[in-house]
Amino acid sequence: MAEIDFSNQRALLIEDMAEARILQKKMLTDFGFKQIELAMKAESAIELLRSNTYDVVLSDYNLGSGKDGQQLLEEVRHSNLIPNTSTYLMVTAETSIEMVMGAIEYQPDGYISKPFSQALLQRRLLKLVESKQKLYEVNHALDQKKYEQAIEEAVKVVEEHPFLESKCSRIKGECFLELKQYDNAIDLFQTALKERKMPWALFGLAKAYFFKGNYEEAESRFRQLMLDNRFFVNAYDWLAKCLVKLDKKEEAQATLIDAVAKSPKAILRQIELGELSAELNDFETSEMSFRRAVFLAKHSIYSDSSIYFQHLKSFIGIAKEHELSNRQVDNFKITLKKIQKLFGDNPKIKSGAYEIEIELFITQDKLNQAKSAHLLYKQDVEMGLAAPESDRFKKKLEPLLGESSEES
Amino acid sequence: MKKVDISVILASSIHESKNAVGNLMYQLQTLKSEFDGPIEQVEKINNIEEGLKQLNDEWVEYLYLFKLASDGYDLQTDTLQVSEFLDDQVFVLSQSATARHLILSYECDESLLANFDERLLTSVISTGVYNALRFAKSKILLKAEVVDNYLVFQIEDDGPGFSDTNNEEENFLDSSTGLGLYFTELSAQAHSNNGKEGYITKTDSSSLNGACLSIYIPQ
Repeated sequence: MAEIDFSNQRALLIEDMAEARILQKKMLTDFGFKQIELAMKAESAIELLRSNTYDVVLSDYNLGSGKDGQQLLEEVRHSNLIPNTSTYLMVTAETSIEMVMGAIEYQPDGYISKPFSQALLQRRLLKLVESKQKLYEVNHALDQKKYEQAIEEAVKVVEEHPFLESKCSRIKGECFLELKQYDNAIDLFQTALKERKMPWALFGLAKAYFFKGNYEEAESRFRQLMLDNRFFVNAYDWLAKCLVKLDKKEEAQATLIDAVAKSPKAILRQIELGELSAELNDFETSEMSFRRAVFLAKHSIYSDSSIYFQHLKSFIGIAKEHELSNRQVDNFKITLKKIQKLFGDNPKIKSGAYEIEIELFITQDKLNQAKSAHLLYKQDVEMGLAAPESDRFKKKLEPLLGESSEES
Repeated sequence: MKKVDISVILASSIHESKNAVGNLMYQLQTLKSEFDGPIEQVEKINNIEEGLKQLNDEWVEYLYLFKLASDGYDLQTDTLQVSEFLDDQVFVLSQSATARHLILSYECDESLLANFDERLLTSVISTGVYNALRFAKSKILLKAEVVDNYLVFQIEDDGPGFSDTNNEEENFLDSSTGLGLYFTELSAQAHSNNGKEGYITKTDSSSLNGACLSIYIPQ
């Protein structure tokens, strides 16, 4: 094994159990890491990853009550908070390995089963870092989104290190998808599948068919993936996308409901289900999904105001059909308050919040309350705290308030 | 009363116990790193550590066994460098072998690449090696090669061989050997590819004159 010097490297250790955290930190110190930072849960790890770059991330799969290690990995990979050149090692228990390995789309660079000795961790880490060094040019090109170059570099790596072939084919396939070279991607994944039914190749093939617009071919592959890998919930998301394209929206919604039941903590999936349900005028389901999304958004990088607004809008949909329950009214108020608290400094968002509040009052025939909210709204506009009323508001909602006779 | 699935309950109890053992191992590691008593006591600590590791590995085996037998295991195959895999196994199991004054080593072509489920085979190899530890006189040898499109792992020792402990029925009840073999067989069978299924054989070792357990994984 090559000598690797950790003394100029920076490590992030994510572990919720104090005992293990102390021990692992000591191990990393013994390996010579210059800097070791600690996080006790996924949310604080995200904060650290947002502002720093780490050469090595050692993360436990079980991270207490918040997000688990796999969700953390997906989020930071998805949002490029961690470069491909870094090494990500996941600590798993036997029962969670399937969850980690089953997540075909975002996998750690390696795993180590608990409990492990210092010697074993060192060995795993050295091997991973060594393999990362061999793939450095490939990963560096990926980080810079230079996909053609990444393919060229991957070809070179395989010539020199044949045992990295599987890894390199996978990267090449993903680059073809990024470059929209779908026929090349289909060729590559089919060749890989001829030898053995590798889940990543089947997943790649399905995506290539999807992007090519061949939704029926894609659908059957995604269904196959769901059958083969029970833990790969992302296949459900993709199947739902196919079904939407094939204009089977109800079926797509049912697929997402299944997926949400399997893994309720995935915020993007909740948003997807919320939007699709609103499209289908199923506002009860939409409300439930966005309520969960709002809850999950709190510590997520996906904390965008649109999630909150969509949650509020779902109540208007419900109110059109029947009277809101007290609980629903409370939930509406909670999310409204969250918007004001989180985004209240932004005049446009403040206006949006006023308009949706007024719209709900109008829908509920609570004209007096609508009017008093409008009064506050206008005051805030005058003081520059809120942006002027939108065109939609002026044309559609303001006339319903019956205030035209009042002079201000 | 609602009927309960006792095997599920047992599996989850094993899981709990396994975690407890893991915790003890962590504590022992911390103790060891701070310990500065006489060498005989260090050896005792090493023995306890090795015993806990074996217990942990056995429970991992039972958990896999439960999943395999209840059809709940999703195979995760990957293309791997076999020599590196065997090097890993020897690395983690050598402490147990050394504690019994046995030599554990492997033979494999450096360039050999093959497809298999690394986690599952790790458990299979440790099960086989722990069993061999009980019978070997001085050596245990791990081998791997590809023959007729099968990756063949062999665990050989210089003990009395399978022929002397032939009564399988008795073995099954008598020791963990039978259960271990059953687990190994299920693990091999779980590796199917293009209509071919994995299997195991028990023969005599040609090089060490003891037992030879072969695990065939279709490629």
